[in-house]
Amino acid sequence: MKEVSSFLIVIVMLAICQSALAQGKITGLVKDSVGNPVKGATIKVKNKKIFTTSGEDGGFSIAASPGEALQVSSVGYEPVEVVAGNGAVMISLKGKATSLDDVVVIGYGTQRKKDLTGAVSTVNMADARKYTTNDMSQLLQGRAAGVAVNSDGQPGAVPSVRIRGFSTFGGFQPFYVVDGVPGAGIRDLSPNDIESMTVLKDASAAAIYGAAAANGVVIVTTRTGRKNTPMKLTYNGYYGVDKIWQKQKVTDRVQYQTLNNESRVNAGKTPFPANDPTNPGYVSNINTDWQKEGMKTGIRQNHNVSMSGGGPNSTYNFALDYYDQKGTFVGNGPDYKRYTARINTSAEKGILKVGEFFNYTHSHENTLTFRDDILLGGIPPMIGSLVVAIPTMPVRDSTLLNGFGGSNSEFNGANSLNAIGINSILVNWVDVDRTFGNAYAELKLINGGGHHLRFKTSVSYDKTVTRDYTWQPPFFLGKFFSKPDAELYDNSRVFTNASIENTLNYDKIFGKHSVEVLVGQSYRYGSFVERDAHAKGFTAPYYPVINSGATNSSKGWQTENALESYFGRVNYSYDDRYLLSASLRRDGSSRFAPSNQYGYFPAASVGWKLSNEKFWHVPVNIVSSLKLRGSYGKLGNQEIGDYQFQGTINPGVVYTFAGNFYTGALQTLVASPDIKWETKTISNAGFDATLLNGRLDFSAEYYYAKSTDVLVGITIPASTGFENLNPTINAATLRNSGLEFTVAWHQHKGEFTYDISANLSTVSNKVLRLGGSDAPIYGVGAKTAIGQEVGQHFGYVYDGLFKDQADINSHATQFGGLALKPGDVKYKDISGPNGKPDGVIDAYDRTYLGSGIPKFNYGLSISAGYKRFDLAISASGSAKFLINSRMYRDLHHSAGALNYSTDMMNRWTPTHTNTDIPRLNDDDANNMQDSNRPGWLQNGTYLRINTLSLGYTLRDNLIKGIASARVYATVQNLYSFQGYKGYNPDFTSGVFNPGFDFGSYPKPRTMLIGVQVSF
Amino acid sequence: MKRIIYLFAGLVFILSGCRKKLELSNPNLQTTADFWKTREQAYAGSTAIYNALTVDGTYMRSFPGLTDSRGDDFTGDSPWLDLVLTGEFIIPSTSAPVFWIWRDHYLIVNRANQVLEHVSKYPESVLSTQEKNRILGQAYFLRGLAYYNLATTFKIVPVITKVAETPEDYFAATATEDDLWNQIISDLKAAEANLPISYANVDGLDKGEIGRATQGAASGLLGKAYLYRKDYTNAGAQFQKFFTGGPLAGVYSLMQDYRDNFRDFKENNAESLFEVQFTEGQGSDINWCCDPTASWKQVQAISVTYGMEGAGFSDYLPTRWIYNEYKKEKTVDGKDDPRMLVTIASYEPADNSVLAYTRPWWNPDTAIYPRKYTNDGVGNGKTTEVAAQSGINYRVLRYADILLMYAEVLNEQNKTPEAYSYIQQVRDRARLPDLATVKPGMTQAQMRDQLAHERALEFAIEGQRINDLIRWGWFYDPAKLAELKSHDRDFNSWTPGKEYLPIPQGELDVNKNLKPNPANG
Repeated sequence: MKEVSSFLIVIVMLAICQSALAQGKITGLVKDSVGNPVKGATIKVKNKKIFTTSGEDGGFSIAASPGEALQVSSVGYEPVEVVAGNGAVMISLKGKATSLDDVVVIGYGTQRKKDLTGAVSTVNMADARKYTTNDMSQLLQGRAAGVAVNSDGQPGAVPSVRIRGFSTFGGFQPFYVVDGVPGAGIRDLSPNDIESMTVLKDASAAAIYGAAAANGVVIVTTRTGRKNTPMKLTYNGYYGVDKIWQKQKVTDRVQYQTLNNESRVNAGKTPFPANDPTNPGYVSNINTDWQKEGMKTGIRQNHNVSMSGGGPNSTYNFALDYYDQKGTFVGNGPDYKRYTARINTSAEKGILKVGEFFNYTHSHENTLTFRDDILLGGIPPMIGSLVVAIPTMPVRDSTLLNGFGGSNSEFNGANSLNAIGINSILVNWVDVDRTFGNAYAELKLINGGGHHLRFKTSVSYDKTVTRDYTWQPPFFLGKFFSKPDAELYDNSRVFTNASIENTLNYDKIFGKHSVEVLVGQSYRYGSFVERDAHAKGFTAPYYPVINSGATNSSKGWQTENALESYFGRVNYSYDDRYLLSASLRRDGSSRFAPSNQYGYFPAASVGWKLSNEKFWHVPVNIVSSLKLRGSYGKLGNQEIGDYQFQGTINPGVVYTFAGNFYTGALQTLVASPDIKWETKTISNAGFDATLLNGRLDFSAEYYYAKSTDVLVGITIPASTGFENLNPTINAATLRNSGLEFTVAWHQHKGEFTYDISANLSTVSNKVLRLGGSDAPIYGVGAKTAIGQEVGQHFGYVYDGLFKDQADINSHATQFGGLALKPGDVKYKDISGPNGKPDGVIDAYDRTYLGSGIPKFNYGLSISAGYKRFDLAISASGSAKFLINSRMYRDLHHSAGALNYSTDMMNRWTPTHTNTDIPRLNDDDANNMQDSNRPGWLQNGTYLRINTLSLGYTLRDNLIKGIASARVYATVQNLYSFQGYKGYNPDFTSGVFNPGFDFGSYPKPRTMLIGVQVSF
Repeated sequence: MKRIIYLFAGLVFILSGCRKKLELSNPNLQTTADFWKTREQAYAGSTAIYNALTVDGTYMRSFPGLTDSRGDDFTGDSPWLDLVLTGEFIIPSTSAPVFWIWRDHYLIVNRANQVLEHVSKYPESVLSTQEKNRILGQAYFLRGLAYYNLATTFKIVPVITKVAETPEDYFAATATEDDLWNQIISDLKAAEANLPISYANVDGLDKGEIGRATQGAASGLLGKAYLYRKDYTNAGAQFQKFFTGGPLAGVYSLMQDYRDNFRDFKENNAESLFEVQFTEGQGSDINWCCDPTASWKQVQAISVTYGMEGAGFSDYLPTRWIYNEYKKEKTVDGKDDPRMLVTIASYEPADNSVLAYTRPWWNPDTAIYPRKYTNDGVGNGKTTEVAAQSGINYRVLRYADILLMYAEVLNEQNKTPEAYSYIQQVRDRARLPDLATVKPGMTQAQMRDQLAHERALEFAIEGQRINDLIRWGWFYDPAKLAELKSHDRDFNSWTPGKEYLPIPQGELDVNKNLKPNPANG
């Protein structure tokens, strides 16, 4: 840096000398696109050797005459050419969307993108922010190769983020670092406050975070003020409406009754009274369209006010943010509301710099109730209950306790949950208060002779308090869904995280050698306290507080954990051709026994800038730069519960002697004393190229990651005499590998400018060990076994429908000799106890039916500008995987009493045999088996248009008092190209059945308008 | 520069004091490392072993049920197929109740191992030698009892005598049948040596804690183990301890009323050597299984399982053979054997038996049901069974068994005439005539049959019959097998080896060191 500034001084002096010879002087001001001054920009008089640089305030003065062209360029901006007039020249520089000169935030520092040797993806925040969401991890979707984001569509949804495949069975979310605070949750931050997001994907980039980094690291920085800038007041706001645009086609009353009766008759039973036209109880006047009744238009709005600026020695940024989302389901939620206040400041004097940020968030979320303990177990999430509810159940019924309708198994033959009713009766919310702050001090210990040494100490504290409240009044929605007595749950959780970090940074350039050294130390402490109160025995009128219940009870527990670390890193480059980075971190974790507490996580990477070699003769307008890089290293994962290595004493082991009650005590649960880190070893190789004079950027990489000692619950023999026979031990080995491509095209000349960037990544996954006896792990319709990928679909092989009795007779017996009829599903006899087909369809005939993990993930974004208009489009998707949809299967049941998909009108009947939908049978135990029968496993490939946003920037100072203003309109989730018949092909799921959609909430199409105004 | 490095080094040094903070202990529960320090903890540990006797797979329900159902005196009659198939000797190795029996007996083993390992290290200053011996003695007894039940039920199982230290220890290998029985005998010997005859006047926290294992329990079960192994010399020596001149002489006697052995208000009586304590009214969560809590009940579910149609689940029925067996011999008053109506609920107007659960008999007049271990006719006022709410203790070993086993030893030692008086003590209580008068001068073989008959009547539905049949070798004696088949149709589906319960399939799958037993075939 020092050399660069010396160089600049020389240039400035030269410019001054030159100016003595000039006839006139032109003055001007260089600003960026949002109006901030750009210092250090080079201003050159076209065709002359006259140049200067802009000062702190962006101002410059140059020897030139009106009419002469000035060429202005600056690192990170597109160069421009303007013709000098008579007055001061106002120059506006536009930032480069993607540029190798960009500075990238990495662990404990920054690096120029062109010097990176690890696998690092940056998110273009300006574009990403155009997607509105309550959770900023959603912004990663489709924007970084190798990062897969899955999410449901309700307000307050928690997205799941997976970086580079399935490498663990436990917690898989990446490790977030917010403004240098490691391990901070990002859920309560406002996307408006985010300046940058960087994803560290390989060992070289992430190993500096050691034991926490195996799932990848996402580094987030928040907005700060700029020095020497007058206070700028900015308002950002939008308002929009949400509409569910997907509809499941279900049968109406007449169709439902027809199908249900047919299913009864086929099983030799009589139709249910409600469906039987000859019965006095026949329902002919109710035809509820549950999706129409239960879905409403949602609203989302966000208002953000920020004030930022700075003096010569200080900066500040204050922001207030309000986010409110009212969901699309009728009743008490889902809604999510959040208030955020944020302050970032810094000040410096001499060698000392201090700074802090403080973030306070309050949120209130009405959750869509899905509680097995209040409802019956086994029911799907509320959206599923809504879709599969029978049309002959009324939404409202004034004769029932709560005024909502219900169903009755004897009468309707169904126990359908009235999801609108239950969502209107239960009061279920979570209040979250989070206080999150950090303060740091930095000393420039040495700043001379080319040596730079900085010491930084940083402390942070993060406390989240929740109140989890559920009031369940007495309700009756049919006999399966009733609770005669009111109950109240009023629980509280307190999460505390504190950390202190100390680092020393040193850098120096010796001739062609450039060295940067980092050493540091960190201590993190976390604790969790849960206090649950429960009351019952309420009498009307109800006062839903714990004290007004006749009996109340409480429970509580707490846990603590700590992580102590030392780390160091050396970055070295020679002649801007050879790059080397090596790092080592040592972590100690309280989650493991003292003998296993410490782990070492080394990593190294090298880079070679081929295009800077003397022998490189490829013209710059073809290949502007080319860098090869490779890395290798180890990362850790300690995402398990606390204290698992410790055996504990059960103090409630009761017995009776002489008629008296005694509580005995000893160890009843097996501990995992040898538990230790999961280790993930990643090799990464790739290249970065800039082609066609900087118009095209292209990066590609390959990674091979092996996770060993993966923590997994293995089955141990009951002869051990413990109560828990699934202790967590380090037993499994998983392998992931993949390719990642990122390409970007920039067109920045003329009035029409655009950037197109796209990324594509592949995932290949294999289980190498499962531990213990290597017994497979089963998920819902899925199996995880050695030599296979995690959670593949598993079941029987469809072999058509039985044509006639002869077909049945000649086929293997199915499932212990079920009585089959033509129109039932035929399964292939593929094996038996001796590994050969045995004429019996049973558990031996199940096999792998396809992958539940997308083989490809891709994202595309386009941003374009024409004059004052700007347009942004982003899309993302996944391909090559199969989805097992609970909702779809429920709608295709042939036994039981839910509503049907209209596809079922095409079921097999003796007169309609040209179909692949089996016959209806109220006693069916055959057709519903996990299998690959048509529709059971659906192609998950999709491409969703996430945002389409059009903006217009008003001329500066068009309105008095408003410095700049932009208005925009956005359509979010415009459309999804998908074959999947459920709602979201990117649902969240469990690790052992990644392809099973239990009932994810649809993503609404959002139409919103917004403004950005600066004063 | 140097100063700064020193400064930083100093800072790092200070901060490395954080290391201590990595040693965080669970604030919710005591850890094993902090336990086994106080006298109270030693007692608490021993109490916790007994808890494992009160779960589904031990004496709460499935162990008595699946043992009784394999006798020729009992048969399954349940929609729960496992209960029926067990009686028919075709139970698959994947059966859940079979697994529970396995699992829950090993709970006893593990807990006893913990107590033996830790309490033996207690210093005299914390726990007196007498107290320590009693606690260790109980652990030996309970482990011996668990292995006795496992050996008689599964024939060959792993013998685990230490707390697992490493994950490799979880996968215990099957022991030979000899090693298994040697362990049972050695445990019971150690128990006998350490246990008091009574807790009434011991010096310790266990004073008066009736229900803890006694020397009599250990001596008796040890004798029974020797008898099972046909070691008549040692068996005889054990049983002699209960008679004149022995250390246990006069401690035990038969209750006058046979029914007192199955009443919830005559528990831990003079005839009882060891019983599992069940109590109504305590706790809120039923003690079926899993990690115990202080809110556990202490109830058994045998009563409701055995209870007749209309009062209980009636999952099992007594066979007609055992009913008829009781009718074979009248009492000295010319009446039916009084043990029949304690064992079997039957409508017998001639015997003035027209009630069930204090209500007028409501089932078909010809139907018979189990009564032993139900609340029917107990005299506790119950009019029905309530699911898992019975407090009737399970009698594991009775003095009547000591008498009949000693008679068997004498017969096997060719002292057949001496056997008469011991058998007669049991017959006298049932008011049956003097055996020496009605069947004088029996040969050894005749006496064996007589003892089989006597034992069948005295111990019907007490989890004894199948073990007697196995040890007498009746399954492999064609004449006897034919007899069994005539007693109980269930025996028609028996095939060699199936007299035992199979080793649970899940255990075989997960533990490569485990061997299948003959019932797995």
